[in-house]
Amino acid sequence: MNISMNELKAALRRCFEASDYFVGNYEDAANMVLWLEKHGLNGLSEFKLALPYIGEDKNKPLSNVIYEDSTSATIDAHHRSALNCIAAAVDLAHAKALESGIATVTVHNCHNRIFILKALTDRGRSGISAAAYWQNGTDSVTEHTAAIRSGQRYPSYSEGVTNLTSNENDKQALTIICSSRVDLTSSLQNSKSHFISPKQVESNKKHTVEHGIEIDADVWEEINKIGLGVLVENTERSRKDAGGN
Amino acid sequence: MTTNAAIHSSLWGENSLPLRPASQVMKLERLGAYHQSRLSFMRTLVRRIFRERWKIEPSVFNLDNDGYGTVVYEVQAPHGLFSFVLFSDYLSPDERNDRVIATKWDLTMALVEGKVDQEYIEKLRENVPKQEAGRVDARVFVLSRANRSARNFDYVVNQLAAGEQPDVAKIVEVGYLYRTTAVYGSGKLGMADWEKVREKHQDFARPFAGEMFVCLMLRNFSLLQVEHIARHKTPDTFNPMKPEIKRYFGIGNSTGLGMAPYLVNHPLLINQWIEMRELALARVRVLGSVNQQVRETISQLIDRSAQHTLETLTEDEWQTNNNKAVIDDMTCLKSRIECGFDSWDELIEHSEQHCSLQGQEMLVSCMLEIYPELVDELEDFHSAEEFLDLDPLMPAGQLKDIIENRYDWALAIDFDAEGARETYWYRSEEKMEPRLGSVADIEGKKKQMALGVGYAVRKCYNQLIDYIAKNPDDTTARFMVAHPKLRGIVRRIQGMNRCVYGDIQANLLDREVLPMHLLRAKLAFFGVSKFDPRSRLWVRNTMFQGAPLLEEIGQTFNDDWFMPLAPKQ
Repeated sequence: MNISMNELKAALRRCFEASDYFVGNYEDAANMVLWLEKHGLNGLSEFKLALPYIGEDKNKPLSNVIYEDSTSATIDAHHRSALNCIAAAVDLAHAKALESGIATVTVHNCHNRIFILKALTDRGRSGISAAAYWQNGTDSVTEHTAAIRSGQRYPSYSEGVTNLTSNENDKQALTIICSSRVDLTSSLQNSKSHFISPKQVESNKKHTVEHGIEIDADVWEEINKIGLGVLVENTERSRKDAGGN
Repeated sequence: MTTNAAIHSSLWGENSLPLRPASQVMKLERLGAYHQSRLSFMRTLVRRIFRERWKIEPSVFNLDNDGYGTVVYEVQAPHGLFSFVLFSDYLSPDERNDRVIATKWDLTMALVEGKVDQEYIEKLRENVPKQEAGRVDARVFVLSRANRSARNFDYVVNQLAAGEQPDVAKIVEVGYLYRTTAVYGSGKLGMADWEKVREKHQDFARPFAGEMFVCLMLRNFSLLQVEHIARHKTPDTFNPMKPEIKRYFGIGNSTGLGMAPYLVNHPLLINQWIEMRELALARVRVLGSVNQQVRETISQLIDRSAQHTLETLTEDEWQTNNNKAVIDDMTCLKSRIECGFDSWDELIEHSEQHCSLQGQEMLVSCMLEIYPELVDELEDFHSAEEFLDLDPLMPAGQLKDIIENRYDWALAIDFDAEGARETYWYRSEEKMEPRLGSVADIEGKKKQMALGVGYAVRKCYNQLIDYIAKNPDDTTARFMVAHPKLRGIVRRIQGMNRCVYGDIQANLLDREVLPMHLLRAKLAFFGVSKFDPRSRLWVRNTMFQGAPLLEEIGQTFNDDWFMPLAPKQ
């Protein structure tokens, strides 16, 4: 079925709010999913993978900094989804880059890392260049990178299948580089990779703005079903709370 | 023509104009005292249509003798062609309900990009009358519905059919033939997103321009329909309505709580609207020359405003008292004007000392009316994107200073006092309608919407103080890693600090909060009049009363329908 971007965003906000994401985070999370889908980068497919787990994040410890110096930091996300922890990590990299020119933040134990693209893109708008790299998978390891130049509106994104075997030590890790001095670009050396340019990302966005978003009816139903958690049962009393006669 | 840079330098820095302070302007009671002005969106839209001479003509007119059927208007605007599609269906009196939760209406409407063919009209026919229960595609960018006025519609048809004119005294009581109960845009029900409208359809690329246009078209159709029915009822005696009486018919509107969260959730947009209104006022105060002609004009506008208020009828005691106060205020201002004045500051100061808030804001609207050359160009600067970006490098100490300076009003509230957190806002599972409850209902409290900005600021401030005591040199980014639950409010504090006016200064959780003020503020920006509260939670009002008629497009246009008065009969 076809829905608008605003419908998707509103339904996702309710969904995350009902999953106990806190104020500020549920807007961020909804925007991250919408951004990927709007720009042709399969936000809904990734969200479908995250859906069974988003209700569990509330029981996990909050992210914490396990190492920090003036140009770098390491954060443990305690197996949270990037949807509710990655924005703060990018903010920290951003702040350090402004202070030191360039900075690196590594996040451990973070899931759904592709959702970082929205947070990276926001840095471009703020005049910071940013890049990210991560690997994913156990049997077949894929690698991913995204980057945006300072002042730009659209990032590049690459993904590819590697010959690597999974390494227990860097599972679910993500490296973020931010710079206020250097324009960062990234592409994979991997010959089996697929590169999506900023121009293609922009073109995808134009298509979505014109035609809306195609979504599987079952995913749409699931998002709305979870979102029901923020609605209050309708009673005669609650009808009076709307000022009705 | 002004520019963003010129506006910025008028608002900020050494060369800025003397704006009224946020501590005065952003009080909820003052926002709730606003009136229509020449910057209101209805005025802006009508100016554009008439100055650009839009061509608006029916391309399909299939109404039976009782006025039921389908009508399509083609709208040729400078940057594109649009179709206004309207379905008129029989509705029994017991099905007529103004609440959002209704499921059937007399009229349903859609504003669509481009021409529509028969196949597309059929597709709309299957969905538009269902409203929330239907789906449309991204060619549609506004959906609405309306119900007949039980008091006026049949009466006016019968009068015209008998060759008589409607009694103006009855129109003073209810100034419309239809009342719209919802106007949807911005991507609801599958429609085009605002982003598409803004980028693709320049004719409607201002906030709520499409929504206002649909209401204007509804008003036009309502006048056409009563004449159509009356003409077929008794062709021999039928007489068309006189234009001056037609102009006095607007469109009714019922607005409930749904509008209130909008103001809190779009703080940058609301700030932008207020900045433009206050900038217009500052321009008039500094640049508006005062001579004898201006003194006479303001005197006439004050008289007109008093008479308009006198012709505003409501059963609500609170509003009646407000209206009486405005009429007294206008008398007071008139006396002051007759004593002579040489600068607008003299009048403003007088109003602040002697008039109610509604009277003070009425004077502001009247002043703007006199100087289109200083005011009208600001109408192109009513848009704002809601980017509440976090400033990660900001020292935590600076964040604390901002809270102390910009949110002193929130820090001054005792949230532990009885009743200070008594009210909460929630969404019902019935069409997700926003509702206002009391903390007595535990389930509702757990699911309340995050509209208590002042309380959130207070909680953030308390944690920030503790954090700074241990980490005096940290940045906001570091504070956010330690306190991720505060991300939303910190981003808002920083974002609103970049605005002249910032957040609405009120505790929306207070037991005594009056949501009516929020509704009234937004409706005034739209340009409505005749506020008629039906409870503390919803209000009836009138749109486009006094506006020129569509058949007058292309004739002389003097843009003078501020505070419309009943025509002499």
